[in-house]
Amino acid sequence: MTEAMHLILIFEDDQAIQNVLRMLFEANGFRVVIADTAARGENDARLHRPDIVVVDLGLPDRDGLNVITAIRAWSPVPIIVLTARTAEAQRLAAFENGADDYVMKPFSAPELLARVRAIVRRHVRGELPMGVLELGDVSIDLSRRVARRRDGRDVRLTPLEHRILETLARHGDRIVTHAALIKEVWGPHRNDSRALRVYIGSLRRKLEIDPSRPRHILTELGVGYRLVTDPGAELRG
Amino acid sequence: MSFTRNPASMAAPSPPAARNLRQKGLALAASLRRAGRRILRFATDAPQPHPLWYWPDYLRALVITGVTTAIAFPLSPHFGLVNIIMVYLLGTTVGALRLGRGPSVVLAIANMLAFDYFFVPPVFSFDVEDTQYLFTLGVMLIVALVIANLMVSIRRHRETADAREQRTAVLYAMSRELAVATDAQAMAAAAVRHVSAVFHSTAVVLIADARGCLSPMSSDGPLGKEGQSPLPAFDAEFAQEVVARGERCIKDAIYLPLQDSRRVRGVIVVYPQPPTRALPAEQLNLLDAFAAQLALSLQRARLAEAAEAARISAERALLRNTLLASISHDLRTPLSALAGAGSLIAQPEYALNTDRRTTLGNLIERKARDMSQLLTNVLELMQMEFGNAALRTDWHAVDDLVALALRTNEARLAQWRTVVNLPTDLPLILVEATLIVQILSNLLENAAKYTPPGTTITLSAAAAEKSVLLAVADDGPGLPPGDPERLFEKFQRGRSESNIVGVGLGLAICRAAARLHGGDIRAMNNAGGGARFEITLPVENQADTAPEDEDGNRDTRR
Repeated sequence: MTEAMHLILIFEDDQAIQNVLRMLFEANGFRVVIADTAARGENDARLHRPDIVVVDLGLPDRDGLNVITAIRAWSPVPIIVLTARTAEAQRLAAFENGADDYVMKPFSAPELLARVRAIVRRHVRGELPMGVLELGDVSIDLSRRVARRRDGRDVRLTPLEHRILETLARHGDRIVTHAALIKEVWGPHRNDSRALRVYIGSLRRKLEIDPSRPRHILTELGVGYRLVTDPGAELRG
Repeated sequence: MSFTRNPASMAAPSPPAARNLRQKGLALAASLRRAGRRILRFATDAPQPHPLWYWPDYLRALVITGVTTAIAFPLSPHFGLVNIIMVYLLGTTVGALRLGRGPSVVLAIANMLAFDYFFVPPVFSFDVEDTQYLFTLGVMLIVALVIANLMVSIRRHRETADAREQRTAVLYAMSRELAVATDAQAMAAAAVRHVSAVFHSTAVVLIADARGCLSPMSSDGPLGKEGQSPLPAFDAEFAQEVVARGERCIKDAIYLPLQDSRRVRGVIVVYPQPPTRALPAEQLNLLDAFAAQLALSLQRARLAEAAEAARISAERALLRNTLLASISHDLRTPLSALAGAGSLIAQPEYALNTDRRTTLGNLIERKARDMSQLLTNVLELMQMEFGNAALRTDWHAVDDLVALALRTNEARLAQWRTVVNLPTDLPLILVEATLIVQILSNLLENAAKYTPPGTTITLSAAAAEKSVLLAVADDGPGLPPGDPERLFEKFQRGRSESNIVGVGLGLAICRAAARLHGGDIRAMNNAGGGARFEITLPVENQADTAPEDEDGNRDTRR
């Protein structure tokens, strides 16, 4: 991978966190540009054309949500949001404004790096082809809608379950908000999160090794779901 | 009528005769008698106009003289004059029993004159033949006056006693109601009701606020013919003046200051019905007593309020102080660890090897996360205690929330065995997910703190008819001795002397969060040993939680 060439633009006003982030990404082969205000960062974005943007929502001059909107207006560059744990509503707003992922503060360096890498990888590769999805010991052929365990037993998924899985898979390891998922699976006129939650539970029972400790279909509280195809990747960094 | 401080001048215009000293006495007597009778009928009849000069009684006195004469006259041929005198004295006595002092005196004199005219020779003349009859007449008059006086005194005493009793009774009735009233509003309403009933008036209570502005507290239509009467008009400026003076004033209505032991807190305005009716001095005095009683009650209410406010603020201050003390301790401890670890890494001459650096790095991260968790707990509790905590609820699956709690605490629980035991048919619950995850998280953290590594922690759930039960249990040493409820108090730790970090807010937050959801949390020991925490959450009536697929079929496979 050509990560050495990847440029990361970070909106962060705190000196200490700037240092940590710079060390983290430079040590892992990124070129790093750090902006301490929204205004400067937006300039840098136009100037440097970064491959990925990390935005701390608490910026001194402007709400980080505005920054997301502003960048989204002209660029599809992936955006990761750094957010405090308590600001659940803000997190959802960030997704609605076009953020691709978020990492909770206080963040752990490996986790942030893993997220950034996953998103850059996905962005470079483009959308996943509708192929075969491997989740643990279950392989799902999304186009033929067939799921089978390694030992050859069939896993029966309902059409709705297939569609949910397909939608999640299409977004790679990124979060899909409840609203987006419901809209894609049920259509635009349904707005009931209850059915979705029941189906997710059902999918986990069919696909996860330990449904009470899901490794693939993860809940992002207050935001949506994320399909993690290779749960080891985050830990390996 | 113009503003005056003299109640008597409002009570009635003085008749011209009152200038005469004797008639003034008569008027006073009549007034007393009337007052006595009025007080007796307080609550029953509508009062009548009340002149000081009650002339029909004087007429009655003359009638009694006539009747006595009519009785005595036929007796005169058979009886001596001595007995005739007795008949007249009897008349005076009977009359004095019923009449006031003035009419009784008139009666005594009239009887004496009638005796002189009709019986003392020469008959039908005021002349006296034998001068010794002058002595007889004089003694007769004196005896009659003494009797009349005695009778009137006796009756007046009785009436005063009755009036006092009545007055005590009505005051007692009001004070009893005031005593059970807990707030100023209820007290004002009770006072208005009693004043209205006792004095046949409408009334309004004006209470001064912090800036001294008077505003009406309550009004009650007592004459209930048109139902609720509107708030009577009052003169706010005049009321302010009454507050400043601190004494009863009369204008278009009676304004009585509500004076407690320190200052005037308000005014009660009493409107006699009909408005032209004047209240006698006794009633005004009684009104004063009512006002004093109300003022004292209002003071009691205010003091109670102040005491309550003081209690709350003291409690808050205690909470704040304890919180500050605990936070400063629980933040300083990990902070010194952080500073120490950081300085160790930063010194090149220590030449720490990679292993040691890693250890220190891990320590820094762990301590920082602990502090973050502590901060979250503190903020959460603050919000639930002091904020207007409206829940942002959504439908959630229990297993989802349990999974999140486990994921959050994965690192912390690495050395513990966690078992999840959830039935598949649990209903969805309508909750604020972060709070429920917080509860479970705190319970898991708690289990990790108070049990040795290797202990099994079991998360389980069960559906009841109208609720879902979540339980976090361990097979560790169990709860500390004592009332388990104590654990849910703020700043309460299982072991007070322990070096375990945490302000003891975890379980307090669990309880607050569970109760916000209309549920609760309890602590107990497992039958087989170990501690067990149970959370109950109510389940709303939900029609269609089992979703349909596109063919409209219920998804019944597991």
